[in-house]
Amino acid sequence: MRDTIVIGAGLAGLMGALALAEAGRRPLVLATGHGATHWSSGTIDVWGQAASGGPRAAVAAVIAGDPDHPYARTGVAGLEAACARFRQVMQAAAYPFVGDLHSDLMIPTALGAFRRAALVPRTMSAGALQAGDRVLIAGFRQLRDFYPPLMAQNLRSQGIAAHGVYLELPPVNRNLDFTTRSLAQCFDDGAFRAHVGAQLARLRGDASHIGLPAVLGMRHPLDVIAELERHSGGQVFEIATLPPSVPGMRIASILERAIVAAGGRIQIGSAVLRGVADGDRLTTVISEAAAREQQHRAVRCLLASGGIAGGGVRTDQTGAVWETALGLPLAAPASRRAWFASRSLDPRGHAIFRTGVLSDDRLRPLDQRGVVVYRNVTIAGGALAGADTIRERSRSGVALATGWAAGSRLAAIEA
Amino acid sequence: MPATDFIELSLDHCIKCTICTAACPVSAVTDLFPGPKYVGPQAQRFRRDGEAPPDDTVDYCSGCRVCNEVCPTGVKIMEINTRAKARIVESRGVPLRSWLLGYQYLIGRLACGPLAGVANLFANLRWVRVLAEHLTGIAREAPLPSFSGYSFRSWARRHRDPHAAGATGRPKVVYFHGCATNYYEPRVGEAAVAVLEHNGFEVIIPEQGCCGLPLLSNGIFSHGRHHHQYNVAQLYSYAAQGIPIVGTSTSCTLTLKEEAPELLAMHDEQTRVVAEHTYDIFEFLRLLHERGRLNTRFRRIKRRLPYHAPCQQRAHRIGRPALDILELVPGLTMVESEAACCGLAGSYGYKVEKYRIAMDVGAELFDFIRASGSDLAVCDSEICRWQIDHGSEVYSVHPIELLREAYGLAPGA
Amino acid sequence: MSRSLTADVLVIGGGATGVGVVRDLALRGIRAILVEKGDLTHGTTGRYHGLLHSGGRYVVKDPQSAQECAAENEILRRIMPHCIEDTGGLFVITPADDERYAETFVAACRACGVWVDDVPLAEVMRHEPRLNRKLRRAFAVRDAAADAFLATEANAADARARGATLLTYHHVTDLELEGDRVTGARCEDLRNGEAVTIHAAYTINAAGAWAGKIAGLAGLDIAVVPGKGTMVAMNHRIVNSVVNRCKPPADGDIIVPIQTVAVLGTTDIAVPDPDVFGIEPDEIALILAEGEHLVPGVSRMRALRAWAGVRPLYRDVAAVDDRDIPRTYKLLNHRTRDGVAGFVSIVGGKWTTYRLMAQEAVDLVAADLGIAIPCRTAVEPLPPVHGAPKSGHLTLGGRLRHVESEELYGDVICECELVTRRQLVDAITTGGAANLDDLRRDTRLGMGPCQGGFCTYRAAGLWHELRGADDAGGADAAAALTRHFIQERWKGLAAIAWGDQLRQQRLDELIALEVLGVDLLPAAVIADGARHPTVVTEHAAIATEYHAE
Repeated sequence: MRDTIVIGAGLAGLMGALALAEAGRRPLVLATGHGATHWSSGTIDVWGQAASGGPRAAVAAVIAGDPDHPYARTGVAGLEAACARFRQVMQAAAYPFVGDLHSDLMIPTALGAFRRAALVPRTMSAGALQAGDRVLIAGFRQLRDFYPPLMAQNLRSQGIAAHGVYLELPPVNRNLDFTTRSLAQCFDDGAFRAHVGAQLARLRGDASHIGLPAVLGMRHPLDVIAELERHSGGQVFEIATLPPSVPGMRIASILERAIVAAGGRIQIGSAVLRGVADGDRLTTVISEAAAREQQHRAVRCLLASGGIAGGGVRTDQTGAVWETALGLPLAAPASRRAWFASRSLDPRGHAIFRTGVLSDDRLRPLDQRGVVVYRNVTIAGGALAGADTIRERSRSGVALATGWAAGSRLAAIEA
Repeated sequence: MPATDFIELSLDHCIKCTICTAACPVSAVTDLFPGPKYVGPQAQRFRRDGEAPPDDTVDYCSGCRVCNEVCPTGVKIMEINTRAKARIVESRGVPLRSWLLGYQYLIGRLACGPLAGVANLFANLRWVRVLAEHLTGIAREAPLPSFSGYSFRSWARRHRDPHAAGATGRPKVVYFHGCATNYYEPRVGEAAVAVLEHNGFEVIIPEQGCCGLPLLSNGIFSHGRHHHQYNVAQLYSYAAQGIPIVGTSTSCTLTLKEEAPELLAMHDEQTRVVAEHTYDIFEFLRLLHERGRLNTRFRRIKRRLPYHAPCQQRAHRIGRPALDILELVPGLTMVESEAACCGLAGSYGYKVEKYRIAMDVGAELFDFIRASGSDLAVCDSEICRWQIDHGSEVYSVHPIELLREAYGLAPGA
Repeated sequence: MSRSLTADVLVIGGGATGVGVVRDLALRGIRAILVEKGDLTHGTTGRYHGLLHSGGRYVVKDPQSAQECAAENEILRRIMPHCIEDTGGLFVITPADDERYAETFVAACRACGVWVDDVPLAEVMRHEPRLNRKLRRAFAVRDAAADAFLATEANAADARARGATLLTYHHVTDLELEGDRVTGARCEDLRNGEAVTIHAAYTINAAGAWAGKIAGLAGLDIAVVPGKGTMVAMNHRIVNSVVNRCKPPADGDIIVPIQTVAVLGTTDIAVPDPDVFGIEPDEIALILAEGEHLVPGVSRMRALRAWAGVRPLYRDVAAVDDRDIPRTYKLLNHRTRDGVAGFVSIVGGKWTTYRLMAQEAVDLVAADLGIAIPCRTAVEPLPPVHGAPKSGHLTLGGRLRHVESEELYGDVICECELVTRRQLVDAITTGGAANLDDLRRDTRLGMGPCQGGFCTYRAAGLWHELRGADDAGGADAAAALTRHFIQERWKGLAAIAWGDQLRQQRLDELIALEVLGVDLLPAAVIADGARHPTVVTEHAAIATEYHAE
């Protein structure tokens, strides 16, 4: 039976599970549900601030300045290794990523702001616009999650000649409700694509680029883009919008398939309730199930259950803060009064969101005295202390780097 | 706080992320169903006891529980929906079709046995199905299983355990066969008995009734309660002695474990003890294996077979025990489908207005099975197997039948 | 830039009372202008728990208030059923309460003419399964839940239809005085900085907790004590009816089910300034602890939001405690009281008695103006406004039923509160909304579990499409609107963000920062009135800041 347990099915957990599966450890991924990848913008964001020398240099500077930052646990080399493997896996699944750690791409959000990302799927890369580019932003009125005129006007205010239009929805057998997912399914249909392509050709004008919400097919988005480009003559790119994120879902399902193909198993819908230990070794992981708990022997365990958003860290009205799966000690603000800044968008963020598990240089959990809690457990992603990755805009970068590193290191542990 | 609150309070966990709706196999193929987030935790905030149910679309929930499976926050979406459906039934009365689908086992009881041939012939006549569709709303194309020429219980009465002679103190196990095994597929029960006996168990087959799930999923809660109370009464004495209750119908075992107690808020001691002692058969075999007690002397089966873990099996939240055990069989490679649901989802796909939806939901699974090129598929749920046979025209078996083959136990032994 | 307007009567304050006054004036054919410094219901009306009093809460200590409430309760049910959900109410004696109070309570109800009925506990528990199973007594009263947003909007719409002018975002900066007579007011239009002078024969100060500030502009001193009341909305309807503790009124002794939430209330703390107050952690802890007596486990359920409103308490007697100040209202005729003519203040009171307060004020003013037309607000029904049922009482399921029967699911923009594209388009284009928070008051946008996490961007997108042409540089207006609304929602979240709601906030942050980059747009804050003549997102006059902890 399987004795390598990964807790969490977000980017960190899946990357860790991939490392374990490829090392022959046949991991079992346990998760309450789908991970935060489904909410993400689908890019790998390494660091949100500009740095000369690009994200690689930015991370090196972070590590130098903050030895407790999650990136300090993987080093730049660990980040590079994770990115490299991630790109290979995505490439193999015909969902290639472009970009590298030497410079960020600046791609637009659905609001029309430019944000930096180190790796972006090929479906988004043409969105790295330059001043003077002429862009058509197109969407569907039926999709409440994307507003082309607003986005276009914000682009214009930043020097991009953008124009926002709504397309006519091609004939489909739906009329009541369109979500990012249902539109992505529509784009899997040839007639739908052709209809959209013809409209884009007509509306493009002198635009060299065409931006569409990130709904361009679930399984074969590059084919969709190629076909739309053939029809329209413009360079087509996707723009991430509100959850559920189609680009995020693509990443999750590609990773899940790669894990299963390498001998792993994914068991979602199974929340981990607690662990049982023998001294400093975790021996058993217990998950919730119908009528009874399920016990899993654990020779090695990767905790990637996320932070407060992912559900790995939970809080209550008394100010208590706890790690939900294994009950590991947390680094958290001393009291509720210290949780928040007074402005929601305070650039320094809210202290409570930095809560996580302290780790040693091998990503093993530490207690408050700095003693390793379990020698056969590693931590990755949002569950780690030391960073507010949403404020830093390092969430996916940290998940990728620490997930891969935590999985690789865990694989070396013998029973 | 009252125990009934557990399900409804779970709506508080919803952070509106829409992962459930993105995974819902029904809203993927029809927009008659606005999706689990909408009808579940969202609409529930607008429902009030004592007010007429304000929404009907919740009826298009198939109850497959994929939403529960993918929800990252633990909302009991399917249960919220099923309770809302029950309130609609409460306020408007039970339609004839729901009675028929809820009490299908009574038809099985009549038609199974010597009359099966005639009954099957009759049930498959086109004009009969067309007439039935008009009269009852049961879709003419939906896959009706064939009644067996004998019931499992009649087989069990004749069955003599080959290992019984001279054996004393063998561990006991209760087998819950469910209606499908009894009236349509005795072969599944025979395989289960053979495998359990082969592993040294004395198999007890007590009196038992329908688990009540067809009634619960059609919103007829009061009758579902009677059924569950009956089964608990039949099974409790065994469970209280620590004797495991093992089933091959993954929906029946789920109902005994969780669906009935939770939906009906039955939290008495007997119900709880029965639930805690109930196992899906492969879950049970996997436990045996973990304790080193499973007989693993398997014959080589050189095959590569498509496997679908049905939604009702996944709702046990126990992983893929059938795969865990079948992986031990030399030469056998199981390839798992990624399809969320076969579409039929209990009695959902039998309803004339939902038949097409069910077939569209199942399309991914049918494609997967056909693409495998195999002439045999494997699935733990009888309802899914009927749908697989219907949708992909590939014969499907319960994994326990495959395991019996791996043990080299001839059918009928 | 300036303009000048003239009316018979100027009404100051766009809460329930002021809008009630202006409707009453309009019904009597008196030309009236109402000015409000923010949006209608921006003040206390939009921050109360939504209780339509049966009178029960006051029968023992404040019988006059109780009688007024009982009478007005019946009138409001008749004239605006579409704004009132007939939840019914209970007074319950918990194990923490003195059982002997029951007799005092029932006797006082009878004496005040407040309908009351002893209810068997088994029946109470059937109807209210989450209530404390150890209750000792329960009494039914005619409490109900009132949607103050809808009700005020209905009054405003009817007043406008009858010729009244309602000017929102008109901040009174000074009163016009001619000798000993108030002859109007000078205002600033916060949207464009324009000075607006309004001349009127009479001015009615209906500014509620701000009435003292307004009177002060005429050099008058009226002792309005802003009594801060903090409330916590729970994520869903944990009770079906209004539930009161049967004991002398105190902090945290009531739960009001209103629309999709249940409001636990309230505290009562005098604050020096109605514009400056915070929500203290101790208040939240107290409200939840008290709530436990009514609904065990409530403090572990999901709190959606906390907020505070300021009661316009009028202190004309020596009261030791805020709770000892009578809840009844007072009409101050400044001619007889202070020798200043043309000016009355209507102070104190509560939402339930807003109509009666308006009637009394207008009766006096009409008499002074020599107008003999009697008040008709007690008999003239209010036409329903959008968001309210066309007939019958407000029901919880009404909006769900409406979406099911008449809308496309994809047009539900605020999914939590089922606010449709149609409603938003209407509110954006026809109302005087100056920001997304005004749309919230119009439609309930962003008032559900996700607190705007998903719908803020959608609403900003719609706003931009519909009003972008009016608002030069509409895109940065949209950015400012987005950030403003996020902060407006945040005000009420910091105090109760833990558990599921904290998780929600983190997801909302992910959306706002990672997905949308609301902080990465070039335009940060709109300079007041500079370029966006219809948008107000930052102005000291309307910034009621809650302190974060």
